[in-house]
Amino acid sequence: MSPNSRARVIKSSSAYALGLFILCLSVACSNLPRDPKETLRSVQTRPLRVGLVEHAPWVVRTTGEPAGVEVDLVRQFAGSLGTTPEWHWGGEQEQLEALQDYQLDLVIGGFTDRTPWRKYVGLTSAYFTETYRVGVQGPPPLESVKGAQVAILRGEPAAAELEQKGAVVVRVDDLSQVTGAVAAPDWQLEQLGRTGTNIELDSVKHVFAVPPGENGFLKRLDEFLYGKTGDIKGRLQQQVSMK
Amino acid sequence: MKVPVDPYRLPEDKQQLMKRAKRLAWITIAFMSSIIVVVGLTMGSSEAMKAVWIEDVLSLVPPVAFLIGTRYFDRPPDDQFPYGYRRAVMIAFLSAAVALLGFGLYILIDSGSTLVMAEAPTIQTVSIFGRRVWLGWLMIGALVYSVIPPFILGRMKQPLARELHEKALQTDANMNKGDWLAGLAGVLGITGLAYGYWWADAVAAIIISVEILRDGYADLRNSIAQLMNKRPSDVEGKEDDPVPDKVQHQLEELEWVEQAWVRLREDGDVLTGEAFVVPRNESQLLDRLKEARALATSVDWRLHDINIVPVRSLERR
Repeated sequence: MSPNSRARVIKSSSAYALGLFILCLSVACSNLPRDPKETLRSVQTRPLRVGLVEHAPWVVRTTGEPAGVEVDLVRQFAGSLGTTPEWHWGGEQEQLEALQDYQLDLVIGGFTDRTPWRKYVGLTSAYFTETYRVGVQGPPPLESVKGAQVAILRGEPAAAELEQKGAVVVRVDDLSQVTGAVAAPDWQLEQLGRTGTNIELDSVKHVFAVPPGENGFLKRLDEFLYGKTGDIKGRLQQQVSMK
Repeated sequence: MKVPVDPYRLPEDKQQLMKRAKRLAWITIAFMSSIIVVVGLTMGSSEAMKAVWIEDVLSLVPPVAFLIGTRYFDRPPDDQFPYGYRRAVMIAFLSAAVALLGFGLYILIDSGSTLVMAEAPTIQTVSIFGRRVWLGWLMIGALVYSVIPPFILGRMKQPLARELHEKALQTDANMNKGDWLAGLAGVLGITGLAYGYWWADAVAAIIISVEILRDGYADLRNSIAQLMNKRPSDVEGKEDDPVPDKVQHQLEELEWVEQAWVRLREDGDVLTGEAFVVPRNESQLLDRLKEARALATSVDWRLHDINIVPVRSLERR
């Protein structure tokens, strides 16, 4: 081995060592990542400030306490941190601007990872994926919706996809009154007793919004939500049937 | 058309080195591609990761240009390209240099504005074997991986580049240095982020962008100089190559030569150009010119296709 190549080996092994050192250092500190603005630490001593944007069945406004699948999740999450939620009702823009400026700790409202606000606030990883598809009553399964009548809730964006697929879209206020084919998320089709076809319209990933860069708080919330993924369907069906 | 010029052939020993250099280029492409995939998968919303990724993608250009260039540069001159194909590589280098400058500037502005606007990067978690893992740790893992191959490969290329006088290979080696420096800066940035210093990421990206800009500027200078037929320099572009002076000296030593003046340019790795000689008399001039040509070409292995031009005087006509 020439002195030159030996020096090369020594140098490259020191690069390995440096890398490993940094990796060990980082993994050893399990309380990392930290929050630049200390959200995770400060909510131990003050309430969790939660912005609510009305969006049933995720966030539901009642005469009393707020309800909804995401509201329940936040209650549990606050409990796990040893704090209590402090609710703030408002519109999406004002809530997310407050979040961006660290005036709120969390905003919920049935957000999906497609929100254009993702450039300005932090989003959790998707904790629930909602797939919209066409459902029918029993066999035979529908191969195509071209020319077929399909009912969908008034105002659902998935109606656009239905139109594109050539369906005759019927917009209704209550899907349970419909006897023909309907378009709805999987969990709702199940509740309506419909068989889901392979005609998929859309798939949305649900997230919570957190202040930008609060990575420690975000990790804690991600871990909490990850443990709840399995219950979401049941909670949604329960929420809808309560209404 | 019969071109009265022998195609250039590398000397035997250099051909072996060239084979090794080509193998290194292929290895570089393989490793850098894997790094690009790994860094791309873990990129998230980190500015530093974006900068490293762009640096790594651009570092594919030198080895690819080197391989393409060395594939074609042996082609003999033909009707359409009577000077041969040796300059092909320079075009790739000019474009690579412009790309480096452009992307370097883009990252500099992008991360600079992130810093000024105090936008803290949000790094999510991902699920691995049923556990939520902060993506930042994966980024550091990817960056450490991205540091090692270019560190070793760059060091292996440098002596080869010198031996072969191959500027394409030298650029490749320089770029590899930029790659591992960028990787290390990225590791520091993400580590800072983990400790709650939100600005560390953008600062690391700025450092990387400066490194990219430096690379780009040096390459642009070099490739423009070569395209402008600047006088030959050493492989790092720092010092003048002594070969033109040597050739001139050798020609002046010939007893039938009164005066000589040589100008050479770099065609990739090869030196080519003209030698103007003032003969003392015109007897047997054709034979003498042939002799002078053989002599001039023998000074260095890179000399090729030297034209000996007999003139009455070196004064401007």
